[in-house]
Parts: sequence; C-alpha cells; structure tokens
Amino acid sequence: MATEFTGEHLLPGQIGYFCVILSFVAALFSSISYLFAVRTETTDPEASKSWVNMARMGFFTHTAGIIAIFVALYYVIANHLFEYHYAWSHSSLDLPGKYLLSCFWEGQEGSFMLWMFWHSILGIIVMKTAKSMETRTMTIIAMVQVILGTMLLGLYLGQDIKIGSTPFLLLRHAMQNAPIFSMPNYMSFVKDGNGLNVSLQNYWMVIHPPVLFLGFALSLIPFAYCIAALWKGDYKTFIKPTIAWSLVGGAVLGTGIMMGGRWAYESLNFGGYWAWDPVENASLVPWLTLVAGLHTLIVYKSTGRAFIITIIFLLLTHLLVWYSTFLTRTGILGKTSVHAFTGDGQALYYHLLVVLAWLVLVAKLPLLFRWKSLPRVNKEEATLSREFWMFIGAAVIFISSIMIIFSTSQPVWAPLAKWITKKDIAPPVDVIKHYNDTQVWIAIIIGFLSGVTMYMKYKNTDARKLWMNLGFVALTSGIMAFAIAYLQRITTWQYCFMLYSACFSIVGSISYGISVQKSKFKNLGPVTGHLGFALILLGILLSSYNKHAISFNSMGVRFGFDKGSEEKNITENRENELLSLGRKVAMGDYYATYIGDSSVPGKDKRVYYKVKFEKIDSTTHKVKEQFMLYPDAFINPKGNESGLSANPDTKHYLTNDIYTFISSATDKAKSDTSTYISHIAQKVGDTIYLNEGYMIFNGFSKDVKDARYEPVEGDIAVSAKLTVHDKFGGIHEMAPVYVVRNKEYISYVEDTVRDMDLYARLGNIIVKSTDSAYAEIMVRQTNPMDDYIVLKALVFPYINVLWAGVIIMVFGFFISLGKLLSRKSKQEIAHPVASIDNADELPEIVA
Amino acid sequence: MKKTHVALLVLVVVAISVISATFLDFSTYETFSSAAKVPGKSFHVIGFFDKAQGIQYDAKTDPNQFSFHAKDKSGAMTKVIFTNGAPPRDIDKSEQLVMKGYVKGDVFYCSGIQMKCPSKYKKDMVVGEKV
Repeated sequence: MATEFTGEHLLPGQIGYFCVILSFVAALFSSISYLFAVRTETTDPEASKSWVNMARMGFFTHTAGIIAIFVALYYVIANHLFEYHYAWSHSSLDLPGKYLLSCFWEGQEGSFMLWMFWHSILGIIVMKTAKSMETRTMTIIAMVQVILGTMLLGLYLGQDIKIGSTPFLLLRHAMQNAPIFSMPNYMSFVKDGNGLNVSLQNYWMVIHPPVLFLGFALSLIPFAYCIAALWKGDYKTFIKPTIAWSLVGGAVLGTGIMMGGRWAYESLNFGGYWAWDPVENASLVPWLTLVAGLHTLIVYKSTGRAFIITIIFLLLTHLLVWYSTFLTRTGILGKTSVHAFTGDGQALYYHLLVVLAWLVLVAKLPLLFRWKSLPRVNKEEATLSREFWMFIGAAVIFISSIMIIFSTSQPVWAPLAKWITKKDIAPPVDVIKHYNDTQVWIAIIIGFLSGVTMYMKYKNTDARKLWMNLGFVALTSGIMAFAIAYLQRITTWQYCFMLYSACFSIVGSISYGISVQKSKFKNLGPVTGHLGFALILLGILLSSYNKHAISFNSMGVRFGFDKGSEEKNITENRENELLSLGRKVAMGDYYATYIGDSSVPGKDKRVYYKVKFEKIDSTTHKVKEQFMLYPDAFINPKGNESGLSANPDTKHYLTNDIYTFISSATDKAKSDTSTYISHIAQKVGDTIYLNEGYMIFNGFSKDVKDARYEPVEGDIAVSAKLTVHDKFGGIHEMAPVYVVRNKEYISYVEDTVRDMDLYARLGNIIVKSTDSAYAEIMVRQTNPMDDYIVLKALVFPYINVLWAGVIIMVFGFFISLGKLLSRKSKQEIAHPVASIDNADELPEIVA
Repeated sequence: MKKTHVALLVLVVVAISVISATFLDFSTYETFSSAAKVPGKSFHVIGFFDKAQGIQYDAKTDPNQFSFHAKDKSGAMTKVIFTNGAPPRDIDKSEQLVMKGYVKGDVFYCSGIQMKCPSKYKKDMVVGEKV
C-alpha cells in the first residue's frame, strides 16, 4: 500500500542517509586498503604505496560523508522538519537558535555522529603525521569508524534484528502503529516538536558534549598507536606521538569532565558539581587510566621499564570509553543514574556487547602474540628512583579506577551476585559516602606521591639531598595545612590527611619549579600539571567539606528520627526554606526576600524568581551589602508534565559561592483564582491600601496613550492616574483605561505592575456632578501567602580553588606538549632500552 | 621477586580487601514488608506511584516533605513520606519508582527517589490520538 504523503521534505533525509552509507562504505574501504598496505609493505613497496593512496582517498571520502551527514541533520533540525523523528523528538519551534546544536547530543544517533566526526578529524591528523606508523594506526582508526558507522545504519535483518538507528528516520516510520500516520496529510497535524529537554537548554550543554566527546575520541589514538607498535614489533617510534596524544587527551578529557561538573553545578539542581553519578564515573575512569598510562609511558621512555603495563593502560582506556558507552546508553543504569540516557532497547545492548568483544580481541591478540618478545628490563630498580614511585603512583590511580568502575557496574554484576547470594543487590544507600570513603585514600596517596616523586631522579637519587628537600616541603606544607584546617574547622582525620597531602603536593610543585627547574617555562609542564591537580584536590575538600545550607527551615512538623543513624536526614530535609512574597527570612549571614517573578501567563515557560539578599550590620542595622539572585524554573515544562524543572543561580565571590535553586513554587496558571475587589476613590489623593503597599488616585485623564487601545471615532476613553507605592519604596505609575464605544459597549484596558503581581481596572466612572466623579478602581492582587517559592540556598566555600586547579592542570598538559613537540628530532632516536645504563643523562621528557 | 612485583601484590591485596569491605555498603532491593522486618534500616524498594491518592504537599506547613502512596512489587500499598524536599518533577506520571528509605511503624520514610518515566514514544502516542 503506497500512500502519497503530502507536506514532507524527503530530500535532506535521502541525501543524509546516502552519506551515512557512503561514509560507512568509505571507512570500510579505507580500513581494508590500509590493511593491504601493511601486508604488502615489505614484499611489494610499490603496491603498498598505491594501497595507501586508495586508503587515504577512502578516509577523506569518509570524513566528507560525515560532515555532509552533519549538515543534512542540521538542516532538518534548523528548518523544523518534524516529519523526521530526530527533529520532532529533540527540537521544537520555540527552541532558541543557540540550542539547535544541543539537539545533536540529546539523541543517541547525534552523539555517535559527534564521536565519529572527531575520530575522522583526528584520523586525518594521524594520517598526516604518523609517517611509518600510518598504515597500522589508520587501519585501526578506520576500523573503529566502520564500527561506529554501523550505529547509524538503521538496517533491519529480518523482523527483529535491527542494526543501529539512523538519524534520518521518518516520524511515520518510527511510530507506524499510530493511526494518524495512515493519513496522507498527517504533516498538517504535526505542528511542533517534542522539544529539547529543559536541563539541556544551557550554554554549558552547547560546549560540554563536543569537548567531552573530543576527549573520548582522543583515547582512540594512543590505542591505535599501541596496537600498531605491537603489530610492527617497533617499540620506540610510537613513544613520542603516543605521549603527545595522551597529553592532549588528558587535557581535553579532563576539561570535558569538569565542564560537565560545571554544567551540573549551574543547571542541575543536585546541589553540586560532582555526585559520583554513574554517568560521571564512566567518563572519569578512562581519564584515570589514561593518566596512569601517560605516567608509565614516560617511565618507559626514560628507563625502558613498564612497557607492558603502559600498553595495557592505554588499550584499556579506549576499551573503557566503549564500556562507558555501553553503561550509559543501553539503559542498564536505568535504576541507578539520574541522567542516564534513555536506552535504545535490546538492539543497542547486543550491538555494543559485540563491539566490545571485538575490540577486546583486537587489543588482546597482538599483545598475546608478541608477549615473549616485549621489551623487559630484568635489573631491579632502586627504591629511591623516580621510575619506581611513578610506577606505584600509576598503579594506585589504576586501582582507584577499578574501584570506581566496580561500584558503577553494580547493575551489570547484580544478576551474578543474586545467583550467588540470593539477594537483590542495590546501590549503596549513601552513594557519595561510599565513593568518598575509599577515594579519599587514593587522593592522599597520589598527593604525597606526586610531591615526593618530582624530587627523585631516574635510576637513583642522592638520599641526603632528597630528605633535605622533602623535609622543607613537609614542614612548610604542614604549617599551611594546619592553618587551613584551623581556619576552615576541618576536623575529620581522613580529611586532615587529605588536606596535608594536597598542601604537600602544592608546596612541592611550586618549590621544585622554582628551586630545581629555575622557573624555566618550557620545563614547567609537569610541575604545573601536578600543581593544578593538587589544587583540584584542595578545592574539592574545601568546597565539599564545608558546603552548607543557609536556607534552613524552622517551621513544620518534624519526625521522631533516631538521632544516630538518620541524623543527617534531619539536616538534609530542612534545607528547603519557604519564602512568601515580600517576607524577609534570615539565611546564614543574609536576609533573603522573595520579591516577585517574571511570569507572563501563557508566554515563556521559563520563570525567573527575584530573590533579594541583604547583609545587615548587627550593630548599626544598616544594609552592608545587597544583591539579587534570579534562580529560574520551568513550571510544567512541555505542558503535559507536572512539577518544575529548576536552574540554579549563584552569587560568585572570590572565596565562596552562594548557590540557590527553586525546589517548588506556586503555579500561577493554576492558582490564579483571586478576583477583583472594588474600591471607590472619591477625590484626587484618595488612597487604596494593597496587600503589599498602597495606591493613590491622582484623577482622570482624557489623554489616553496605551498601545493596547486603538481609538475609534466616537469613543469616549478615560484613564485613571494611579501611583502605586510598593513596600520596598518603589513607585509605579498605572493608568487603566475605561472606554465607551458607540455610547453602548463598555470595555476596559487593564494595567499591571508585574513585579507586584498587581492588576488594576477602571471599573466605572460614577458622575456625581459636573465637575466631580468617583472612580471605581478594581484591584486584583495575589495573596502574598499564596505566592511563595521554596528555595534551597547552599554555600560552597573556596570553590574557585577547584576551577582554578582545573585550568592550571590543563595548562600544564599543554606546556608539556609544547616542549615535547619543540624537541629536536635527533633526540627522538635515543632508544630507551639501549640507553638504560645512563638513564640519568637522558633528558627528562615530561616528568 | 622484584620490588615492583611485591608493591603490586600489596596494592592488589589492599584493593581487594577495600572492595570487599565496601561491599557491605551495597544495599538490597526489598519490598515494604521485607523492609519492615528491620525497622529503621535503609533499603531500596521498587514500587509504583498510586495515582488515585496523589501527592500531599503543602509548602506552607513544611516545604521539605511530601507524602504519597505506593504499591510495591508484591502489590502491598504503603504510605510513603518523603523527607528530603519538594516533590520531584513528573513523579505522578512515573511508571516505576525506586525508593530509598526505611520503614517505621506503617510508614515508609523515604530519602531518595529514582523515577522511571514513560518513554517519549508512549507519551506522544497519546498526543497523536488526541489529534
């Protein structure tokens, strides 16, 4: 049955889908051609060269194809072609233009596309720079692109097996069973899309996913280089490019993760930047293994040791990126994560399992195949050597990643645990405590190790000098930690250790940079990176340890909690405070007053709430400081949902942040039951008392200027001049209009003071004599007790230390990269294994 | 045996013991009646929001708690008091709730809720039929 559908735009989808197929086939072609280029490399160099040329062409075609898919999908979204399922489910007509890009990453297909796009761009850079490693690295990269390409195919094999899903699926195909789609003119009913999730309508959501996905994509390059090195049996050429790519990866993925934290901080109301949510953990863990691999790779470069573990770490990093995709995309986390993506069902689940199995095989086989001939150093390293402690540090980071991924994978291993223990295992009741309890020790160890290891030399270190340096660092940082602990009242002993460790690393980095490296900028990469990391630790500690609510509810019925176990519950559950319109409430050092909102019934669904914060001097009772915060919320977003979706607003100080968000608010559209109350003003100067101030009648005016009133000849139009004084001392003018048309029809043009939610109507003009008339002023105002918000206000002390730490750390990665890339090529040749006996004379690359 | 091997072995042993120790952190999925056997201890209960009785929330008396009724997987209906803030968005439209909390008396005191909401497909089936 072929129905002719009207009103559809099929061309962009056809072009787009063609490009999906094109880029898939081109990647396959490229990968296979590169493979043949490798196979003929030694036997027939001429043939190998032409294979390489073909493979390159294939890869360029592939890249062009992906860009074309992007353009086609952007066209579909930007032009609101809702006949496409993707546009319909992720965008809507009223979506502001700046968020159009966010639609790409809300959906499954769009984020795979983004991932593929970055791979293809990175692939071209590798193609141009890898030289003798090109054929092998690119075989792997193109192969991964083939795999990602299958995610967009949307092919059905038989009835039940679906491979991938295409972003150009038509709405009528996605929902074949709905009767509306049998109508040829169904498009005339599909007026608007479903819209973008409101929590994604935030500028961080425009930039965070591309950066994060670039970070994920960057993990592929060290993966490809490691396999290429094993494949070729060449264990030195890969070192420099792999270090370089790992540095970029560490910087970008680190930035991406913290941007996600920043997004959560600014637009999700879970009250912070990190909640050990599975989705967050899933991106943190690959970063940890990447950083571990980077450190052991530097050990290998400088001493020839730790080759195998390096390869394992770097291969694992990319595999973990895929595993994260599996965790977050298939809905397996459904029960445990706040923001796991909705799963695409069983098809994607098995698809990703097959991909994972294949990639594990691709990573494992060359390693096993070369196992016996891999570079090893049999001589034992000295205890006081940099390589030994860097190795330990990397191992500790790796253990941390295992712990995190183990807990995060709880839904994966729960069925097995159920089979053994006969119990239905659930996540920990207090998830944050569960992770903090173990990771605080990792942080302590890493902090101390990074401080100590810098002062060590490869091969062996002069013990006396080392202890002198470390003694100075330990003493200085001890004083610093003690001062901070005292001032910030940090008393829990684990966290005192963590504070000391972070301070140790900070002081160690700075003093090493100044005293040993003589502040030479190009050498300062590692010192800067470690300083940044230590500042992150310090920032996390200061902002989380003393994070506290200043909104603290004193009303309400309390439960009889047992003081011991549920004590935290009591404080937790009092963090919300009710603010009635205009009522001043004490919050910490401040007084907060809710003074109005921006709601315009039926218009913008995002409502901003105005909350005034004042700091009042306790002796003089004068206002020392005041500021406004505008936390906002979507009341009943998308119309058919209930409740609200809130975005916080934050007052930033150098030393702390005051962070507020709306937990609940009156829905004006629903509670607007108040009616007009009539008041008679007999003469000029009469006062009408309002709930929140008063109003003065200043007489009538025949000079009516109101945009909403269009004069018609014969009209009698009169306005009442009103002056409204609100309780905050503000003065507003109102001029409601009374119109008599054709001496018969009476109409009103009301006037409002939005801030006060005050409506005034000139209800009647009662003529008393030739020169006097009463005015009937009808006033509508909401009862202040009915207009309230429920607000949560938190203080994050010294959170800027954390953000500064992130920036400094990323900067450190790039300084190291700059130094690495500027090195003379002759030093590259130094074979690490050959020069093991004079490791001390080897230039220190990064560490 | 090399030092690195010894160090690695120690780290692995520590890691395994830490993981096994924190394994006790993991909670279990229970029903209201099995959670009631250990009053005051927190568990996870999977249940379904009872639309007939709705949400009771009055910010003016207490902005930090609301209550509703939920049916667990065995079909038992219990009053749930959420003690940790205002009602989350769409709770009344949820298909399934995962509630963290403990039983005391005949009330389930809940400190965290994870909701499973109907997929977009279903939601828009309704919209489609309306058209």
